[in-house]
Amino acid sequence: MKKILALVLALCMVFALAACGETAAPAASEAPAEATEAPAETTEAPAEEPAEVTDPDAIEDTMTSADGTYEVAFVTDVGQLKDKSFNQGTFDGVKLYAAANGLSYKYYQPANGDQATDDDRYDAMKAAVDAGAKVVVCAGFMQEGALKKAATEFPETSFVFIDGYPLSDEAGNVLTNVAPIAFKEEQCGYFAGYAVVKDGFTKLGFCGGGGGENPACCRFGYGFVQGADAAAKELGITVDMNYSWEYGASFQASPELQSMASGWYETGTEVIFACGGSMFQSVAAAASANDGYVVGVDVDQSAESDTVITSAMKGLADAVQWAVAKVYDGSFAEIGGVAQSLGVNENAVGIPTAAESWRLETYTVEDYEALFAKVAAGEVVVDGDYTKLAATENVNLNII
Amino acid sequence: MTFLIQQTLLYAVPLMIVALAGVFSERSGIINLALEGIMIFGAFVGVLFVHVMQTAGVFDEAKAAGDWIALQGFELLAMLAAAVMGAVFSLLLSFASINLRADQTIGGTALNMLAPALVLFLVRIIANQNTLQMATGDAASWFMIKKTTLGYSRTDDLGFLGNTFLHKVYLATYVCIILFIILSIILYKTRFGLRLRSCGENPQAADSLGINVYKMRYAGVTISGALAGMGGFVYALTSANCTSNGDVAGFGFLALAVMIFGNWKPLNIAGASLLFGLFKCVAAAYSSIDINGDGVYLLAQAGISSHFYRMLPYLITLIVLAFTSKKSRAPKAEGIPYDKSSR
Repeated sequence: MKKILALVLALCMVFALAACGETAAPAASEAPAEATEAPAETTEAPAEEPAEVTDPDAIEDTMTSADGTYEVAFVTDVGQLKDKSFNQGTFDGVKLYAAANGLSYKYYQPANGDQATDDDRYDAMKAAVDAGAKVVVCAGFMQEGALKKAATEFPETSFVFIDGYPLSDEAGNVLTNVAPIAFKEEQCGYFAGYAVVKDGFTKLGFCGGGGGENPACCRFGYGFVQGADAAAKELGITVDMNYSWEYGASFQASPELQSMASGWYETGTEVIFACGGSMFQSVAAAASANDGYVVGVDVDQSAESDTVITSAMKGLADAVQWAVAKVYDGSFAEIGGVAQSLGVNENAVGIPTAAESWRLETYTVEDYEALFAKVAAGEVVVDGDYTKLAATENVNLNII
Repeated sequence: MTFLIQQTLLYAVPLMIVALAGVFSERSGIINLALEGIMIFGAFVGVLFVHVMQTAGVFDEAKAAGDWIALQGFELLAMLAAAVMGAVFSLLLSFASINLRADQTIGGTALNMLAPALVLFLVRIIANQNTLQMATGDAASWFMIKKTTLGYSRTDDLGFLGNTFLHKVYLATYVCIILFIILSIILYKTRFGLRLRSCGENPQAADSLGINVYKMRYAGVTISGALAGMGGFVYALTSANCTSNGDVAGFGFLALAVMIFGNWKPLNIAGASLLFGLFKCVAAAYSSIDINGDGVYLLAQAGISSHFYRMLPYLITLIVLAFTSKKSRAPKAEGIPYDKSSR
């Protein structure tokens, strides 16, 4: 009995230790080796790279600059860099701009993974600035607290706040070195929901990340429901939708999420909107096992899995390139501290229409373009106020 | 019901095989707390093997041609790689606790701390992020056996048994079950097994009869390492979509618990892991479990918070442990370094 007790106690200790050991590891590798070098030296960086690179995957994720400084920095959101979604899409923008203009770039992942605190994020931003960053691209609304602190402390550095809103320092002045960029996710969610229902699917699912507290994911989900509702109304049918925030709070793939998605497919769900970075992995694995379909998010994910029928995209890479270019042509003041909400009118949201990405059968690209034009013209209004999410006449919402 | 059985097996089989790994080590007299660490390492090696092979394009042809037998061979090779490296990794534990007579609890703990850190370090070097994934596709499309892979059409009905055990399954699951049976027989019905067990009960007596206790303990821990490494990869393959991130969701520790409430006996362990797997499955997929097939999802409609379901597997473990630990009887000599001179 004593031995068992000792073993159990030891186990508890081991659990705690293992938990610490696991998360502490990545932090160390982020520290810049040469933090003291002056950023001014970077002007002599060679600009030999021609501006022809269009495939972000062809550009290395890590580059070594000659003088150890990195001008364009990217601080990731929770989740993996290569999530084939939000982080990756944003980083693609950084890479494309930097490669096209011969600039040095580097990404920083805040320590402690999905448990990252404001301090961890601030440390990542500080490391970026110390390493000579002129512009720091920060992905995700969770960076707010850290970004406030960093932007106040480093007024000379420009920050791009993806999925963000204007920030103020403690005195209440708007921080003009932070350019917030948000998207009208509800619009691309709407397109995806409309498309799958028009294509004949009647049992849908939505798996959202952030535990229901991430505004972008909430807008995606609400738009998806509205789109499904509109299409169902036109067809005179009722569709069922499972709607869940479970197992996605940290935007990570997990066995539990895979089981849950498998369960949905097993009980008739035909297509699941995997709305949250690396969560896609679990949902796509479940879809692949059960011959189901997935709606991708943020970027065109059709290349990642044959199960992806369409993707609700937002133009992350384009927006990043646009904003970073403003830093370099000196017009950053135009967007610093000004709320941006990019939608159909800026051509910043949509679903992919390339032939290899278009896997819908009865719903055609022309149908989609007509709908897109209607939304752009304001004939169809997609509501972004996700607190109004509710079942409708044509959508049975099963919130799990 | 089919869904419930399949998902339960997915969770239960890695637990079962890793708990058996624990049995082999402890029956030879070495406490193997490092199961978690070895699993993590094994999962990493297996996933890395798959990743490297895919990058090299070795099995691309077979995949394109739908040659599922070759792909299953690929899966077995990856399991073998994980097992071999798991065994190598466990040598650290055997060396420390057999040759150096170090405290086995501390040795195991050290490995448990080493493995996630080491794996994360390597994964970051290889993949530039915290997760190592397959280079292309997903686990299901490469390795899962479905009706269609076996030549049936999608609409064919294979009957209850066929649907449950031949459709949407992994070969790894069955390999583990067969290995589990074979190794249990070895442990109880062969000379080697008897000698191994005797070293965990009374090594002095075993030694006096001419059994090399050091060798036996090395054998026990090495088998344990191989099984745990393989179990780690099987876990990663079947329930984590063939990814490695320095974490197996605590399955190594759960396996220890399963081993203890299975009372160091294979049959009880199988039962215990099935119980745990069942509740783990309920926790994750309660909203779509339809027990009697009438279209009513009882568990989802019971109005109980999802958090409760998620706690269930652990609550059950605690409760069962509380009731069974009185009867539990660990191998007598486990945890005591063997010293020839102190008879």
